[in-house]
Amino acid sequence: MSSIVSTYSLGAASLSAMAQTQSQVSVLTVESSSGEYADLGVQLGEQSGYELSLRSQVDQMQTLTTANNLTVTNLTTAQDAINSMTSTAQSAVETLTSLSAGSDTAAATLQNTGTNGLQELIQNANTSSSGQYLFGGVNSGAAPLTNYSSTTAGQTAFDNAFQSAFNCSPTSASVSTISSSDMQSFLTGWFSDQFSGTNWSGDSTTSGNWSSASSTNVTTEILPGETATTSTNANGAGFQQLAEGYAMLSQLGGLSLSASAQQTLISTASSLINQGISSMNDTEATLGTTQTQVTDANTSMSNQLTILQTQIGNLDDVDSEKVATQLSSLQTQLETAYELTAQLQKMSLAQYLPT
Amino acid sequence: MGLSSALNTLNSAFVSNAAQSAVISNNISNASTTGYARELANVITNYSGGSSVVSVTNEADAALQDQVNTSTSQAAYQKALSDGLTTLANTVSDSSSATSTSGAESNGNSPSAMLTNLQSALETYDASPSSASAGQGVVTAAQDLASSLNTGAAAVYSVQAQADSDIASSVSTVNSLLSQFTSVNAAIVSGTASGANICNAEDTRSTILTQLSQQIGISTVSNSDGSTSIYTDSGATLFQGGEASTLSFTPTTTYVAGTSGNQVMVDGVAITGSSSPMAIQSGALAGYENLRDVVAPQYGAQLDQIADGLISGFSESDQTGGSAATLPGVFTFSGATSVPSTSNATGLASEIEVSAAVDPSQGGNVDLLRDGGINGSAYVYNTSGGASYTSRIQDMTDALTSTQTFSAAAGLSTSEGLTDYANSSVSWLQSQHQAASNQLDYQNSLVSQATTAASNATGVNLDTEMTNMLSIENSYTTTAKLLTTVNDMFTSLLDAV
Repeated sequence: MSSIVSTYSLGAASLSAMAQTQSQVSVLTVESSSGEYADLGVQLGEQSGYELSLRSQVDQMQTLTTANNLTVTNLTTAQDAINSMTSTAQSAVETLTSLSAGSDTAAATLQNTGTNGLQELIQNANTSSSGQYLFGGVNSGAAPLTNYSSTTAGQTAFDNAFQSAFNCSPTSASVSTISSSDMQSFLTGWFSDQFSGTNWSGDSTTSGNWSSASSTNVTTEILPGETATTSTNANGAGFQQLAEGYAMLSQLGGLSLSASAQQTLISTASSLINQGISSMNDTEATLGTTQTQVTDANTSMSNQLTILQTQIGNLDDVDSEKVATQLSSLQTQLETAYELTAQLQKMSLAQYLPT
Repeated sequence: MGLSSALNTLNSAFVSNAAQSAVISNNISNASTTGYARELANVITNYSGGSSVVSVTNEADAALQDQVNTSTSQAAYQKALSDGLTTLANTVSDSSSATSTSGAESNGNSPSAMLTNLQSALETYDASPSSASAGQGVVTAAQDLASSLNTGAAAVYSVQAQADSDIASSVSTVNSLLSQFTSVNAAIVSGTASGANICNAEDTRSTILTQLSQQIGISTVSNSDGSTSIYTDSGATLFQGGEASTLSFTPTTTYVAGTSGNQVMVDGVAITGSSSPMAIQSGALAGYENLRDVVAPQYGAQLDQIADGLISGFSESDQTGGSAATLPGVFTFSGATSVPSTSNATGLASEIEVSAAVDPSQGGNVDLLRDGGINGSAYVYNTSGGASYTSRIQDMTDALTSTQTFSAAAGLSTSEGLTDYANSSVSWLQSQHQAASNQLDYQNSLVSQATTAASNATGVNLDTEMTNMLSIENSYTTTAKLLTTVNDMFTSLLDAV
């Protein structure tokens, strides 16, 4: 004889089966619409922290990728500026080479070349991108270069030095008697000193005459835990050499010098500008290398992001086919339970007793 | 034997039928009552050869009922724990609508996610150190992180306060059930002695025991006089010899850092808490106590450690080569005069805030984030004042990941990066949450199985009752037929006279 089942548990069984099925249906409905587990915390438990650390890495890399794109833009802009500086310098050198010393137009051409070159150099060196001066080093808040020779203080300093070197003022007629060797020693002596050391730059703590850039370059995090030097600064040799060459021409080129002194001026300036071009090319190459490094970082992060997102997906995402199958089988189950309940209600001896 | 003796027997059959019908009616009307034990009419043959119902007993099964009580206690314990953990887990909830490709804002509200946001903000600031809006982004992320820790700490205290008040109401429920039990038990003892029908009283007693086991884990002993003694699952006496013990508890309404609540006492002995010699193991009371004194405080301690790690990681040291003390920087707390040690971090999570010196809305200067100097000029890192100075920003980014020391009391690794520590804390909480939730499901299914088993053993089956009813009906019909026959025989006899 089989054991007795109480009427209560007969009803309760299908009741609890229905309640259970319905709660599963509600969970699966959420999962099938969102594609993720309904209660991720309960689903992952101990692994929640791992999931959060994956998400954290994803965020970090996405932020770094965006930041790197900005860095690449800055690097490209800086290289464009350098290109423009070197092409101006190149045409200045060509002008100088074709010029014959002592000709009528030589003085005016020399001064124009110097003044225009200097203006163009300063304009490019003061290139800014979203409020940051690209050649300012870490001191990116201030315009890196100023034309010191055009300031009153600069002009007075030049006049005094000229006076003590040649015993005459730059405007007097006796400048035509300045010898080529005196000119050479003035150019390599006092004049050259103005474009190096503290005369050039105070390295941003005390402002130098020409540059307020910092010699410390900006470092930026380009990969998690990896930083790179992502700027150059206007205290580089190229800037000094170009500025010296141009300033030489703009200050001395317009004077009525003898042909030999003028020739010394031309050759000294051309050599400086040529050196400047080569230094600038080096700087540009360094920036190009950095740019490659940053783009490589982004490529590597993009690969890692794909992997990380797959891992997060493995943790968070439900198998949608599985959910759909479970949902339809639960539906069948629920319908069966309803049917059974109805049948069980009819299955009572009371229904079959004669009244 | 004469005809009148036959009439007597028939009469007793009618009485017996009526008594059995009454029992069947009672059973049918209680077919759906949980915990109702099916009643049986004990019929015997009496001295005159007729039948009579001498007593009504019920089909109680003490072992199965114990099983129901034990699993009820366990389920109540897990439910108390699981409810509290759900509240705590809500504070770290990972947004379920987040897609895996989403940005920082969809990582939920946990301190861990906020740390990630802060890290992203710092990296953005690192790329544009001269941008005030990027600096403002860092300040906002830092404030969100501080407020997430504040919220977490507040949730811990509120869970503790809620558990404390739950303990108080559970204690008063237990006391009220014990006093009901006292009177029902007395009725059963006197009913057993006098042979009265005590079925209903026994059902009531069994229901009270199930309700009691909801609140507190119990074990019962049946005595020969029909009374039942109740002990806690740890052995403390709750009811014995007709006398109920009284549970006493002094509630604590406000929980702040370091508050420890009172324990539940029976006859002067604590029955909850780690220092109790006989601490109860199950029932809602034990669950609330564990939540209030173990789980919530431990999570609170982890939040305090995270806050402490932030304060010390972002602190500023003397940059002039002097010996001035290291002081809290971006992250500080009210009345801070030094960087607290890891063992002295209690309550930091509820107090941590972002220094007003870097918050423009409070008159601060965002640039102090990049340059240092929140604590004065001796603490300035960017001595040259460059607008693209990034080392301090990178120091702070590193502080989020570089290894720090944490107090062992919080129950996690003592040497880990801050972000990893925060992640471990979430893992810890969610695994507790998961375990409690799974245990609750398991215990609930045990309760339902035990209830079904008990119901099958002692409950009512309508068809059985109906069948019994039919046989009683047939017996009645036959008895009535017999009565008519005897009556006819009497009539024939009298007619013959």
